[in-house]
Amino acid sequence: MKQHLGRQSGVQKVDVSLIDGKVDVTPQEDGQIDPAQLLKAVYDSGVTVAEMEVTARGKIVKDTSGNLALQVSPNQSFTIAPNDLLKTVEPLADSPAVFTLRGELYHKPAGKKKPEASASLKLLILEVQKKE
Amino acid sequence: MNTRKLVLLFLLGCVFVPTLQAQIKHIEMRVEGMT
Repeated sequence: MKQHLGRQSGVQKVDVSLIDGKVDVTPQEDGQIDPAQLLKAVYDSGVTVAEMEVTARGKIVKDTSGNLALQVSPNQSFTIAPNDLLKTVEPLADSPAVFTLRGELYHKPAGKKKPEASASLKLLILEVQKKE
Repeated sequence: MNTRKLVLLFLLGCVFVPTLQAQIKHIEMRVEGMT
Protein backbone atom coordinates (compact mmCIF):
# COMPACT_ATOMS: atom_id res chain seq x y z
CA MET A 1 0.00 0.00 0.00
CA LYS A 2 2.85 2.38 0.86
CA GLN A 3 4.43 1.89 -2.56
CA HIS A 4 1.08 2.21 -4.32
CA LEU A 5 0.31 5.49 -2.51
CA GLY A 6 3.81 6.78 -3.14
CA ARG A 7 3.24 6.42 -6.89
CA GLN A 8 0.14 8.65 -6.83
CA SER A 9 0.38 12.11 -8.35
CA GLY A 10 1.47 14.85 -5.93
CA VAL A 11 2.68 12.50 -3.16
CA GLN A 12 6.07 13.28 -1.65
CA LYS A 13 6.19 10.94 1.32
CA VAL A 14 4.08 8.19 2.90
CA ASP A 15 4.44 7.04 6.51
CA VAL A 16 2.56 3.96 7.66
CA SER A 17 2.11 2.96 11.28
CA LEU A 18 1.02 -0.66 11.58
CA ILE A 19 0.51 -0.34 15.35
CA ASP A 20 -2.21 2.32 15.31
CA GLY A 21 -3.36 1.84 11.71
CA LYS A 22 -2.42 5.34 10.59
CA VAL A 23 -1.20 6.47 7.21
CA ASP A 24 0.38 9.92 6.88
CA VAL A 25 0.74 11.42 3.43
CA THR A 26 2.94 14.45 2.84
CA PRO A 27 2.10 16.22 -0.43
CA GLN A 28 4.75 17.69 -2.70
CA GLU A 29 5.70 21.35 -2.27
CA ASP A 30 3.00 22.62 -4.64
CA GLY A 31 0.29 20.83 -2.61
CA GLN A 32 -1.41 19.60 -5.78
CA ILE A 33 -2.84 16.30 -4.58
CA ASP A 34 -6.22 14.64 -5.00
CA PRO A 35 -7.57 13.11 -1.74
CA ALA A 36 -10.24 11.16 -3.66
CA GLN A 37 -7.50 9.53 -5.73
CA LEU A 38 -5.64 8.57 -2.54
CA LEU A 39 -8.80 7.10 -1.07
CA LYS A 40 -9.26 4.95 -4.16
CA ALA A 41 -5.59 3.94 -4.16
CA VAL A 42 -5.85 2.68 -0.56
CA TYR A 43 -8.96 0.65 -1.37
CA ASP A 44 -7.25 -0.75 -4.46
CA SER A 45 -4.52 -2.02 -2.12
CA GLY A 46 -7.12 -4.08 -0.26
CA VAL A 47 -7.28 -1.85 2.82
CA THR A 48 -10.37 -0.05 4.15
CA VAL A 49 -10.17 3.64 4.99
CA ALA A 50 -12.11 4.42 8.18
CA GLU A 51 -11.34 8.17 8.28
CA MET A 52 -9.41 10.71 6.29
CA GLU A 53 -8.32 14.03 7.72
CA VAL A 54 -6.66 16.86 5.85
CA THR A 55 -4.86 20.02 6.82
CA ALA A 56 -5.28 22.55 4.05
CA ARG A 57 -4.77 26.23 3.40
CA GLY A 58 -7.18 28.17 1.25
CA LYS A 59 -9.95 30.71 0.88
CA ILE A 60 -13.57 30.28 1.90
CA VAL A 61 -15.74 30.74 -1.16
CA LYS A 62 -19.36 30.24 -2.13
CA ASP A 63 -19.70 27.65 -4.88
CA THR A 64 -22.20 27.72 -7.73
CA SER A 65 -24.83 26.02 -5.55
CA GLY A 66 -24.43 28.62 -2.80
CA ASN A 67 -22.61 26.18 -0.50
CA LEU A 68 -19.46 27.26 1.27
CA ALA A 69 -16.24 25.62 0.13
CA LEU A 70 -12.54 25.73 0.92
CA GLN A 71 -10.73 26.60 -2.29
CA VAL A 72 -7.18 25.23 -2.12
CA SER A 73 -6.27 25.94 -5.75
CA PRO A 74 -8.01 27.56 -8.73
CA ASN A 75 -9.35 24.17 -9.81
CA GLN A 76 -9.70 22.35 -6.49
CA SER A 77 -12.18 23.06 -3.71
CA PHE A 78 -13.98 21.08 -1.03
CA THR A 79 -17.56 21.77 0.01
CA ILE A 80 -17.71 22.39 3.76
CA ALA A 81 -20.19 20.41 5.85
CA PRO A 82 -22.19 22.56 8.27
CA ASN A 83 -21.10 22.68 11.92
CA ASP A 84 -20.37 25.31 14.60
CA LEU A 85 -16.86 25.98 13.31
CA LEU A 86 -18.22 26.78 9.86
CA LYS A 87 -20.19 29.63 11.43
CA THR A 88 -16.91 31.21 12.57
CA VAL A 89 -15.48 31.36 9.04
CA GLU A 90 -18.74 31.97 7.17
CA PRO A 91 -18.67 35.78 7.50
CA LEU A 92 -15.35 35.83 5.64
CA ALA A 93 -16.61 33.92 2.60
CA ASP A 94 -15.41 35.41 -0.69
CA SER A 95 -13.02 37.72 1.18
CA PRO A 96 -9.22 37.71 0.67
CA ALA A 97 -8.74 36.00 4.07
CA VAL A 98 -6.81 32.74 3.86
CA PHE A 99 -7.45 29.98 6.41
CA THR A 100 -5.46 26.94 7.45
CA LEU A 101 -8.01 24.33 8.46
CA ARG A 102 -7.86 20.77 9.74
CA GLY A 103 -10.91 18.78 8.89
CA GLU A 104 -12.40 15.39 8.26
CA LEU A 105 -12.84 14.75 4.56
CA TYR A 106 -14.08 11.18 4.70
CA HIS A 107 -15.67 8.91 7.28
CA LYS A 108 -16.53 5.34 6.36
CA PRO A 109 -20.31 4.92 6.23
CA ALA A 110 -21.63 2.22 8.54
CA GLY A 111 -22.07 -1.11 6.83
CA LYS A 112 -20.41 -0.12 3.58
CA LYS A 113 -17.08 -1.61 2.61
CA LYS A 114 -16.24 0.53 -0.37
CA PRO A 115 -16.88 4.25 -0.95
CA GLU A 116 -19.15 5.21 -3.80
CA ALA A 117 -17.06 6.53 -6.65
CA SER A 118 -19.56 9.29 -7.29
CA ALA A 119 -19.65 10.47 -3.67
CA SER A 120 -18.03 13.87 -3.31
CA LEU A 121 -15.82 14.52 -0.32
CA LYS A 122 -17.16 17.06 2.15
CA LEU A 123 -14.92 18.82 4.62
CA LEU A 124 -16.07 18.82 8.23
CA ILE A 125 -13.99 21.49 9.97
CA LEU A 126 -12.36 20.17 13.16
CA GLU A 127 -9.98 23.05 13.84
CA VAL A 128 -9.25 26.52 12.47
CA GLN A 129 -5.47 26.62 12.83
CA LYS A 130 -4.69 29.97 11.27
CA LYS A 131 -6.30 32.98 9.63
CA GLU A 132 -4.26 35.35 7.45
CA MET B 1 7.59 56.75 -11.54
CA ASN B 2 9.67 53.69 -10.69
CA THR B 3 8.70 54.01 -7.03
CA ARG B 4 5.01 53.99 -7.95
CA LYS B 5 5.51 50.85 -10.04
CA LEU B 6 7.34 49.14 -7.18
CA VAL B 7 4.59 50.04 -4.71
CA LEU B 8 1.95 48.71 -7.13
CA LEU B 9 3.93 45.48 -7.59
CA PHE B 10 4.22 45.08 -3.82
CA LEU B 11 0.48 45.58 -3.31
CA LEU B 12 -0.37 43.09 -6.06
CA GLY B 13 2.02 40.61 -4.46
CA CYS B 14 0.28 41.00 -1.10
CA VAL B 15 -3.04 40.15 -2.72
CA PHE B 16 -2.01 37.24 -4.95
CA VAL B 17 0.77 35.43 -3.06
CA PRO B 18 -1.51 34.08 -0.28
CA THR B 19 -3.88 32.73 -2.93
CA LEU B 20 -1.07 31.07 -4.84
CA GLN B 21 0.18 29.41 -1.66
CA ALA B 22 -3.19 27.87 -0.89
CA GLN B 23 -2.74 24.13 -0.82
CA ILE B 24 -3.17 20.81 0.94
CA LYS B 25 -0.49 20.55 3.62
CA HIS B 26 -1.06 17.11 5.09
CA ILE B 27 -3.34 14.09 4.83
CA GLU B 28 -3.86 11.50 7.55
CA MET B 29 -5.87 8.33 7.18
CA ARG B 30 -6.99 5.78 9.72
CA VAL B 31 -7.23 2.43 8.01
CA GLU B 32 -8.61 -1.01 8.81
CA GLY B 33 -7.46 -4.41 7.61
CA MET B 34 -3.79 -3.53 7.27
CA THR B 35 -1.37 -6.39 7.95
